[in-house]
Amino acid sequence: MRPRRYRDLIVDIWGILVIGPFLIVPLADWGPLWRSLTHQILIGMTASFGVYIMMRMRLLSFTVPAFMALGGYSAAILAKAGFTNLLVLMAVSFVVPTLAAVPLGFLVLRLKGVYFIFFTFILNEVFQVALFEIPGPTGGSDGIAGVPPATLFNADLGSPRMLVLVTILTALVAAGITFATTHRYRAEFSSIDENEPLAESLGVAVWWYRTIGFLTSAGVSGLAGFALVHQLTAAHPSSFASFSAIDYVAYTIVGGAGTLLGPVVGAILLVTMSNLFSGQGLYAAALFGILLTGAVMVAPRGVIGELRYLVERMQARPRGEEATRATQREAGHESA
Amino acid sequence: MESAISTGLIGLSLGSQYAMIAIGFTLIFGIMGVINFMHGGGYVIGGYLAFAVSSGMGLPFPIAVIGAAIGTALIGYLIETFFVDKYVDDHNATMLITLGIYLVVTTVIIIIFGPEPVSGFSFPISGVLRWGGLYFSYSNIVVLVICTTTIVAVYSLIYRTRYGIALRAMADNRAIATAQGIRPGRMFPVAFSLAMALAGLTGALVTPILVLEPHLGEGQLLKAFIMVILGGLGSVAGATIAAFAVGAVEAYSSVYLGGSKGALVLFIIVLVILLVRPSGLLGREARKA
Repeated sequence: MRPRRYRDLIVDIWGILVIGPFLIVPLADWGPLWRSLTHQILIGMTASFGVYIMMRMRLLSFTVPAFMALGGYSAAILAKAGFTNLLVLMAVSFVVPTLAAVPLGFLVLRLKGVYFIFFTFILNEVFQVALFEIPGPTGGSDGIAGVPPATLFNADLGSPRMLVLVTILTALVAAGITFATTHRYRAEFSSIDENEPLAESLGVAVWWYRTIGFLTSAGVSGLAGFALVHQLTAAHPSSFASFSAIDYVAYTIVGGAGTLLGPVVGAILLVTMSNLFSGQGLYAAALFGILLTGAVMVAPRGVIGELRYLVERMQARPRGEEATRATQREAGHESA
Repeated sequence: MESAISTGLIGLSLGSQYAMIAIGFTLIFGIMGVINFMHGGGYVIGGYLAFAVSSGMGLPFPIAVIGAAIGTALIGYLIETFFVDKYVDDHNATMLITLGIYLVVTTVIIIIFGPEPVSGFSFPISGVLRWGGLYFSYSNIVVLVICTTTIVAVYSLIYRTRYGIALRAMADNRAIATAQGIRPGRMFPVAFSLAMALAGLTGALVTPILVLEPHLGEGQLLKAFIMVILGGLGSVAGATIAAFAVGAVEAYSSVYLGGSKGALVLFIIVLVILLVRPSGLLGREARKA
């Protein structure tokens, strides 16, 4: 049997590959419904990568909308100032939240367990109130309207197809960064996840790896914010509501927080279902609630976690039977 | 000066309401380790049950309030028994399960009562007590008295009865408490329903004074987060102190700074306190999340 590390790598690579087929939507020029669904899935997926990175260290973070706002607003301000190059906007939307995460990390990463959860939740609310209250470049409660679309090599990326393409590209970049970080520091993240005091006593600089995870999570969330602002051509505080963090956490946990494929599958599943439910109008939230509760109760390891568990059990059974037969044969020889 | 004292009294009344919410939330977390996203929903259910009993059935308001508390407790008992109990050791699972239930409950309320704030639901006592330059509404006095009495009763239950000792034992060390013969299967649903009843009672008392609409739960949940984080998770005394502090800050900042700026001040205070004491005012080592 292949080592666990190799199997994890394969599943994580699938997490990136699954994003590829979304390219068919802009390339085949599918209709507005598909474009809207693609935007929602991929932006939700990108945001949930931010949750996933932190969950690799057993930290449930609700900071994603706050960092999304930082990334989105930074890109919007820059684009309004005339800098519309896609690569620059993406870089800024990654770097600004990452830099902001340095002092915040100092504050937040001292907290443990549930304090961390609650504090990150409250942090979103602070950002929301601050965005509404503080006028100036963020536009206060009006936000920033009419954000110009990104450009690349003088090509305007403002058409509906191009907007989707930018969202897909952003999701791919975010998935790549998440993949690189979680595999580069796989051993350290896993040791913190499994037993933090033991990891620390064995010389793992827990604070350092937590900081790396937090900064990467902030940057990836910022990319999701950029994709959202670029799609809406506006940055508004309500786009980054603190309760939306729960959606991103739900995508990660329902899909499975153990692999990169988990948030990908979770986002596809939950966003698609909530879109299907939205046809039910009044009942949409309840149906989503039932789906959420049902998914957690039926598959507590997440969809991918349960599937992997089933596959591993199926693979282990024949080996177990083979071992039993071998033992019986050996016992037979000995008695003879 | 009189204005500052009047504002302080409003803060006291707010603090007593918040304490009811925070004590329930911290009880569930302290004893079961569950982050109950349905807790704000308990406040909303309490409000709507009281509205249905008083306005719909025409019964007196005190009966509506008692009925709301009992009804919310019953709903809490059922939620714990059928949804939470099996997953009680999994923070993430119970968090999402209670969130899912909150979404369902909110939708059911919207279907029955509509999405708009309800009209024709007001506190039965009106008027303002004037004493020199001090002003304090009678409704706030009633809320303050009932909430304070309930808080004292909850404290007595927790610190003076065998049931309370058992609850605290579960909160301290579940394994040892279970080995001593305390049965989590019996304690958890009762603790959950007690906490939900506190939220329901608060909702029933306060929503006729403020407003009653289906999405109130989210704001209440956020306040519960702030108070338990300030007070220290699992600490009933800490949650109570934090609730009164939050009530005072909110009252003064709303009057002297304005609504949203007041919220910002509150958040900054939370940040500063957590910088100094990462486990809250009376907190202990956090459970793993």
